[in-house]
Amino acid sequence: MFKKLLVANRGTIAIRIIRACRELGIPTIAVYSTADADALHVRMADESVCIGPAAAEDSYLNIPAIISTVLTYGADAVHPGYGFLSENGDFAEACRRSGVNFVGPAARHIRLMGDKPRARRIMARHGVPVLPGSEGKGVVELRDAQAAARKLGYPILIKAAAGGGGKGMRIVRNEAELARFFPLARAESEAAFGSRTMYLEKYLERARHVEFQILADNYRNLIHLGERDCSVQRRHQKVLEEAPCPALTPKLRERMGKAAVRAAKVVGYSNVGTIEFLLAPDGEFYFIEMNTRIQVEHGVTEMVTGIDLVKESIRLAMGEKLRFAQRQVTYRGAAIECRVYAEDPDTHQPSPGTVTNHHQPGGLGVRVETALYDGYQVPVHYDPLVAKLILHADNRAGAIARAKAALREYVIDGIQTNIPLHLRILADADFQRGDYATDFLRRFEPAPVLAEAPRVAGRAS
Amino acid sequence: MEVRDLKALLLLMQEYGLVELEIEDKKGKVRLVRGHPDRAAPPAAEPARVAARTAVPAAPKRTAARSDADGRARRGGQAPALEANQRLVASPMVGTFFRAATPNAAPFVEEGDTVRKGQPLCIIEAMKMMNEIEAEAAGRMIKILCDNGQPVEYGQPLMIMEVG
Repeated sequence: MFKKLLVANRGTIAIRIIRACRELGIPTIAVYSTADADALHVRMADESVCIGPAAAEDSYLNIPAIISTVLTYGADAVHPGYGFLSENGDFAEACRRSGVNFVGPAARHIRLMGDKPRARRIMARHGVPVLPGSEGKGVVELRDAQAAARKLGYPILIKAAAGGGGKGMRIVRNEAELARFFPLARAESEAAFGSRTMYLEKYLERARHVEFQILADNYRNLIHLGERDCSVQRRHQKVLEEAPCPALTPKLRERMGKAAVRAAKVVGYSNVGTIEFLLAPDGEFYFIEMNTRIQVEHGVTEMVTGIDLVKESIRLAMGEKLRFAQRQVTYRGAAIECRVYAEDPDTHQPSPGTVTNHHQPGGLGVRVETALYDGYQVPVHYDPLVAKLILHADNRAGAIARAKAALREYVIDGIQTNIPLHLRILADADFQRGDYATDFLRRFEPAPVLAEAPRVAGRAS
Repeated sequence: MEVRDLKALLLLMQEYGLVELEIEDKKGKVRLVRGHPDRAAPPAAEPARVAARTAVPAAPKRTAARSDADGRARRGGQAPALEANQRLVASPMVGTFFRAATPNAAPFVEEGDTVRKGQPLCIIEAMKMMNEIEAEAAGRMIKILCDNGQPVEYGQPLMIMEVG
């Protein structure tokens, strides 16, 4: 058992990790920036250490400060959560060199899967289907992108080789758009990841984003825990996720699951990870990338499988063997996760501020993961995700009904949230039928010109 | 900055309920930190909170099962109340606090010593690197708040100096 685990994150995932550690009997250290002195994760951990000023680069992304905390305060494990340093190979390596366990895969797996063109090449070589795209190590210059695009045909998705989180991503439908958006996407990639290398993929219309949860130990035992449908996205940012995916037949699930296991096995992966696929309307599926960390939406898989992914990730990092065989993984009911963002529901601009009144829903099958409390000040410096509402029921219709009821019960005063958007999604007839793809949320975007009129009327009344 | 300027700033801080203020101009940088009125910090240079902190044994033992309430009170960043002519030396990083360059050497500074500008005051060891913390201004050492070998966090008060 670990003696003390440092949680190198903040917000909902830090709390999630602290809870898992409490159940396992592992003391925790929270780290925080000066902007987070009153954050819930700081209150919940056994110890807390301020590691730097508000800017993430100086605190939550500050590898020397976190390693120094590990050494000074005597932790023997680090959980990176998601975002921040979770997919930073140098951080995993720094942990290992300091003699501390990194809860996650080996640094080489993080680096390999972080290099998207390389991951694509390896998958293609091992028979995991990938979308047609630019070949080789990626493209930097527009003329090379143009040459690759002529071979592929439009529409095309421009992606960052070091990418993630939708940054540096653009759909282009013709040569003129490529010339216009390629430099923009490249600049975005350079700003976000410090890399100008891009790659192109054929853009699939009406595709669904379906990902498989992987669980693996250090002894080459590797299983999947089924899929999650994450097609409800806005600008490549997930908003609502569900398990199982309403479009999968048992046969297709088995085929995709096998492909996911193969994808993770060929690189010798260990700990938790996720294989992301695009699922075309014709039932063909394509590997897009692997996330080498716990995902925001891990909760829906936990609800339908009954397996605590965070506790398992810690056990696996301690060198324990996988406790389940593939055939022991069973699925019960349906789960939906609504990501609650502190944002203006119309403009999607972040809405930081003080939470004046907080009441969270409850009841059977209702799970709330949040860092909010009465009087909490949502800081401006970080991701606007403030809560995850996870609903579980015997079937999908039951989960939708439960989600609607819980969202109506949820009170978060003082800041604006996207709860109204979730209610509209859940009331949508196509969503209720399970008939939706990654372009689904566009129907809720107000037309740019018409948007003004109803809003003004609303304000006057 | 003159003492009376500092006093004016402190009054402004009180008026607007500010707990912390940092100002930088051509002449240098000043950071003022007020004791939290609702936590009833005594005006003396050594509030109970800090005393409690230094009384805690060094390194991992700091864990010693704590309730949320006392843990919060013990955390750094919340500075002791200062007199108008006093300045706080805060840790610029997470690490281990040392009062001398080597285990056998004499401490860089003792309470009551006169301090030159730029004089080393202590060392913060972070990842085997010894970082010397220098005096930003000349003055007198009033109070050393941390024990030799104690872990310190970012912004944690280390010493109180009298300047001007």
